[in-house]
Amino acid sequence: MIRFDQVSLAYNSINVLDGVSFSVDFSERVAILGGSGYGKTTILKLILGLIRPDSGRIFIDDDDITGKAEDELRVPRMKFSIVFQEGALFDSLNVKENVAFCLREYSRLTEEEIDQKVREILRVVDVEAAIDLTPEELSGGMHRRVAIARALAACEPKMFLYDEPTSGLDPVNADNICKLIVDLANGGKGFMIVTHKVTDALKVAERFMFLRDGKIQLDGNRKELLGATDPDIQQFLSELQCLTKMQGLKAD
Amino acid sequence: MNTLRVKELLYDLQEFYMMSVRGLLGIFRKPFYFNDTIEQMDYAGAGSFLIIVLVSLFVGMALSLQLSAELSIMGLKNYTGKIVGISIIRELGPMVVAVVYTGRVGAGIASELGSMVLGHQVDTLRVFGVDPVKKLVTPRIISSLIMLPALTIIGDMVSLLGSYYIAVFISHQSATFFWSSIHQVLTFQNVFSGSFKPFIFGFLVTCVCCFMGLSTRGGSQGLRKSTTQAVVLSIIMIIVVDFVLTRILLYVLGFSV
Repeated sequence: MIRFDQVSLAYNSINVLDGVSFSVDFSERVAILGGSGYGKTTILKLILGLIRPDSGRIFIDDDDITGKAEDELRVPRMKFSIVFQEGALFDSLNVKENVAFCLREYSRLTEEEIDQKVREILRVVDVEAAIDLTPEELSGGMHRRVAIARALAACEPKMFLYDEPTSGLDPVNADNICKLIVDLANGGKGFMIVTHKVTDALKVAERFMFLRDGKIQLDGNRKELLGATDPDIQQFLSELQCLTKMQGLKAD
Repeated sequence: MNTLRVKELLYDLQEFYMMSVRGLLGIFRKPFYFNDTIEQMDYAGAGSFLIIVLVSLFVGMALSLQLSAELSIMGLKNYTGKIVGISIIRELGPMVVAVVYTGRVGAGIASELGSMVLGHQVDTLRVFGVDPVKKLVTPRIISSLIMLPALTIIGDMVSLLGSYYIAVFISHQSATFFWSSIHQVLTFQNVFSGSFKPFIFGFLVTCVCCFMGLSTRGGSQGLRKSTTQAVVLSIIMIIVVDFVLTRILLYVLGFSV
């Protein structure tokens, strides 16, 4: 379980998070919504201990990671696997080597076993044909898929973290990535997805948090999100209303 | 505001020191990233070979030309070989090669690591439990500790050949006398003095450029800033450290000033 207790963080004296508290179980499917610069990605980085809060405490399975040194963070980090925005694939490695990265670091598998496992994972995310390509040769959608494949190859994570996994993708590719995220979660492992696309969030998540002014303005299920009266959330949902109108016109 | 800047500077210095020590100690600690080291050596060594040869050749030729012109007036042009030899082996060779190395390899290190930071690749390494200093800095330090001294030796040889060409074919000096002068200056003190410096330069340039790269913040403008700072700081450091090392080495090796 992830628990934030009154976590605050400021960048250049601008409050990004202001006393944020919440708990998320590893099996939950959570979407963090909010505009650019509202601290969505910051939450993921705090969970992984990549940055430290100015105040407050962060617990991973009741283990306080707030003041831990880099070496001590290795164990709590192993509980997660993250897909960063744009994928963050290693440019100098091809697709196979990117996916095999963790396997080479932490397992004692033979070259043949690694090759077999990489192909198996790439087949799950449907990019096996790209095994020998370099990241610069991949399309946006393939890039994300390979990044998800690399996250899958990590050492048995309990939860997946996705940072804007569909940003910059065309609707078809974005939809495919959403389906992949749901398929992977069907195995029982939850995820936390950070996005500003309400439609994508609604496709994959069951619990929604809306961030604004460093605070969680809403933390609830689909019904609560869609029924929210807060004007900021309403404005955020306008994308959805627009889509509904378009679907109505199409039906007419 | 000033207190804040001093604090930031001291914090950066501490981080730089910690990264440099951890990067150096990483040479003796597992895991060893052998393939990354070879890749870096190829980039830094083989990749810089031609440019070092070209620059060293023209530095040697220009130095020989200047000295031949000036020494001819005094009727001492036969001493060109000796002066060129000492200048190149003890001073100019290591410094010129280190500056060129900074321009090519140092800038490459800073921009590569900087873009890895901005593209979250360094964060990904941390999430996967891989120490970025061990994985990214140590192979580059090893590479520089091997390749910069090797490039300096090659650069010195090429400079001397360029100098020989000017002295013998343009200034019409005796080839035998030129090479015997060079032979005379190839003493342990001179060779040690010239071959010790590249190890220090290599370590410093790599640490400065890695630190600046890993400290990159703020998109493409931040990357431009960190790369420029890495190269400028490294070149200033080479020149200052060269002076300090020269003073120490002259004292240690028993030269009287």
